[in-house]
Amino acid sequence: MQVKICGITSARDARVALEAGADAIGLNFVPGTPRALDPEAAREISSAAVGVAVRVGVFRDAPLEQVLGLVAEIGLDAVQLHGDEPPEYAAALPVPVLKALPGDASLEERAAAYPSVDLLIDHPSGGGSGTTWNFELARKLVAAGRRVWIAGGLSPENVADAVRVARPHGVDASSTLESAPGCKDPERVREFVRRAREGVEPRSEPDASGYYGPYGGRFVPETLMPALSELDEAYQALIDDEAFWGELRSLLKSYAGRPTPLYFAERMSAELGLRVYLKREDLAHTGAHKINNVLGQALIAKRMGKPRVIAETGAGQHGVATATACARYGLDCEIYMGAKDIERQALNVFRMELLGARVHSVSSGSRTLKDAMNEALRDWATNVRHTYYVIGSTAGPHPYPQIVRDLQRVIGEEARAQILEAEGRLPDLLIACVGGGSNAMGLFWPFRDDSAVAFVGAEAGGAGVERGPHGAPLSAGTPGVLHGSYSYTLQDDAGQIFEAHSISAGLDYPGVGPEHAHFKDLGRAQYVPVTDDEALDAFVWVTQLEGIIPAFETAHAFAELRRRAPELPRESVVILNVSGRGDKDVAQAQELLAARK
Amino acid sequence: MNRIDRMFERTHKQGRAALVTFLTAGDPDLALTAQLVPELESAGADLIELGFAHSDPIGEGATIQAASERALAGGTTLGQVIETVHEIRRVSEIPILLMGYVNNVLAYGEARLAADCARAGVDGLIVVDVPFDEGQRLQAECDAHGIHRILLVAPTSTPERVVRIAARSRGFVYCVSVTGVTGARRELPADLEALVRRIQRVASVPVGVGFGISTGAQAAQVARIADAVVVGSALVERVAAGASPEASLRAASDFVRELAAAVRTARQT
Repeated sequence: MQVKICGITSARDARVALEAGADAIGLNFVPGTPRALDPEAAREISSAAVGVAVRVGVFRDAPLEQVLGLVAEIGLDAVQLHGDEPPEYAAALPVPVLKALPGDASLEERAAAYPSVDLLIDHPSGGGSGTTWNFELARKLVAAGRRVWIAGGLSPENVADAVRVARPHGVDASSTLESAPGCKDPERVREFVRRAREGVEPRSEPDASGYYGPYGGRFVPETLMPALSELDEAYQALIDDEAFWGELRSLLKSYAGRPTPLYFAERMSAELGLRVYLKREDLAHTGAHKINNVLGQALIAKRMGKPRVIAETGAGQHGVATATACARYGLDCEIYMGAKDIERQALNVFRMELLGARVHSVSSGSRTLKDAMNEALRDWATNVRHTYYVIGSTAGPHPYPQIVRDLQRVIGEEARAQILEAEGRLPDLLIACVGGGSNAMGLFWPFRDDSAVAFVGAEAGGAGVERGPHGAPLSAGTPGVLHGSYSYTLQDDAGQIFEAHSISAGLDYPGVGPEHAHFKDLGRAQYVPVTDDEALDAFVWVTQLEGIIPAFETAHAFAELRRRAPELPRESVVILNVSGRGDKDVAQAQELLAARK
Repeated sequence: MNRIDRMFERTHKQGRAALVTFLTAGDPDLALTAQLVPELESAGADLIELGFAHSDPIGEGATIQAASERALAGGTTLGQVIETVHEIRRVSEIPILLMGYVNNVLAYGEARLAADCARAGVDGLIVVDVPFDEGQRLQAECDAHGIHRILLVAPTSTPERVVRIAARSRGFVYCVSVTGVTGARRELPADLEALVRRIQRVASVPVGVGFGISTGAQAAQVARIADAVVVGSALVERVAAGASPEASLRAASDFVRELAAAVRTARQT
């Protein structure tokens, strides 16, 4: 949360604002207004704030040459325009612009005329009156990806509530912080800064910097940081936007086929001596849980006005899902995929192209998923202004792990209601496979406070974690940074990332989402490796026992269930997430099974 | 006093921009790197930026990605790069900064890295994927050992970020000229000067510009508006194109001579 203290009339006031931790100060150059400055006073204020806070010059319909002159002479870092200055006027300034607009019914239309500048939304009657306005109007713009400041009647008493409603990039106040006209009250300024920041404290993990315990964060080049902040602000503004979630829910129902069933696996239960329920994400549109995430993120992209969408994909499942959502919403779609994966997954490449996406082959590094993700990040760094990057799992820099988790938690929410309906109690155990970790987190998260419910994540053990290669960072990796977040990774002693290996392309990733790392350290979830061979055995077992061909990814979870069953009390209630269907793996299974004979 | 600060004092007195040249350390081996540094110094480079290779360099274009892969194929490690700087210090006092990615820094250990850098004669550090919001421990260790941690400003940085970065960056502020990754560009963006001025207005240290600068003419263009010009990919390409170490040395120093001449005469015209 950025805080701007406006109407600074002296170097003393500037110091009051800076000591309170303000990010920006406003210098008023509107002639005839109470706090208008002459150049001499402005210079003095400016030198007190140089390099500490953003110095914003406030103007109303001043001649452009005058503004340009003062920008250079006073050293203004930004300009705030309060009159009827046209967009060309704003574009002609060499510093960033905040366009002030009244917070009334005309807001959306007027904001559209200034697509690339920050907006400062003020009281419709000009502000300074100590009364507030409808902050929901500002929130709409924030959710649409605009950088928005709110002003007009904000005070230490009401700023936290205003921030909670509007979720702005920044707040601005002036007259409410004065002890006498033109003189800021240090105590009220401090209180204003403190309360403004308090308004955005998150209600649960991650914290405001995107950390889950020690994991997460944002380790990306500076070019991407503003885009991540913009996405974070837009997303936080959507978090309790009923219209957004309503639209998504309705689409998940009518288009993706939710809720997916919770199926009691009778024969499997009998064989294992348990009560096994399968959460049938394999029955969702496109055959996997991935659709929950991409429909949500495509809707966010649409709300943010980003016409172009990019994504990375390993075997092509997330790529196909993203291309599907983009087709549904009419967004341009480009997918990055490792050259090696393109050779192995020709059919999915064709599917993406059929859906209207362009597929880029990535020939750097190991030419697989991690390199595709590197390349997608590079594309995003280059085209960040009009491009939305759909990350496919609970990995990547903040806010992606949170967004993907929140979009996938529908799995666990449904499962919770369904198991209570079926069994009249909570389950004893949840099992899911973990690559990046989105289907597992989606199932686990709504049960996180139910301490009697145990979580198990099955990772790709590949050829075996002792012998390697594998894809099990939680079971056999170490903490490090990959693709923008700090979590468990597969790496050597020098911090170079290994190529992962798994029979299942969806688990073939050397990293994992930061919240899983946190769950592991807390002991909230247990993570275990399952080898390629064990997964293949389970693939056949499930298919013949229940008539469900699971994805190779899901087969890892089944293998772990089967291994663990003898240790569990009889009649334990277990929910296993069938993250995807196995049609895509049938040809590979045929080869592997033939090779065994 | 840090060699980087001394160097900028000198170039300011001379009324010219400094020339910063980037090499991927260990491309194709560290023996060549150790030879290149004094060679580039005598060709007119003012500061050497040595990249330590990472397996997943998300901020790099194709040229430096390929160079990183070659360096890793040759087994180059961060420890060896620091050791190489130590060797170079026997023959050269040119300021040297290391550039790389956080995971290698974490694996090495922040405290150990800062101490070893100081001992070997490294003057500065750029960790591309640690923005100012992260890396408090790294900053503290660098400060404790007199290593300048240089931060980047991008064209996308908000005004609040520009102020914060300018206040925190030591030695100089590295202004990224283009929205994107490293690599040669045919043209530099038209609004580059405005961005450099915005940074200069709030920074108490010099402002260097990098990304995309690949010719003497572009170097001169940047030298007129900034305190330092950084050339990376275009130089890495010349090193890589050499058929022998001697050819690489010759091609690299010829190119740096051309850049140095452009930077030295830029403000005279």
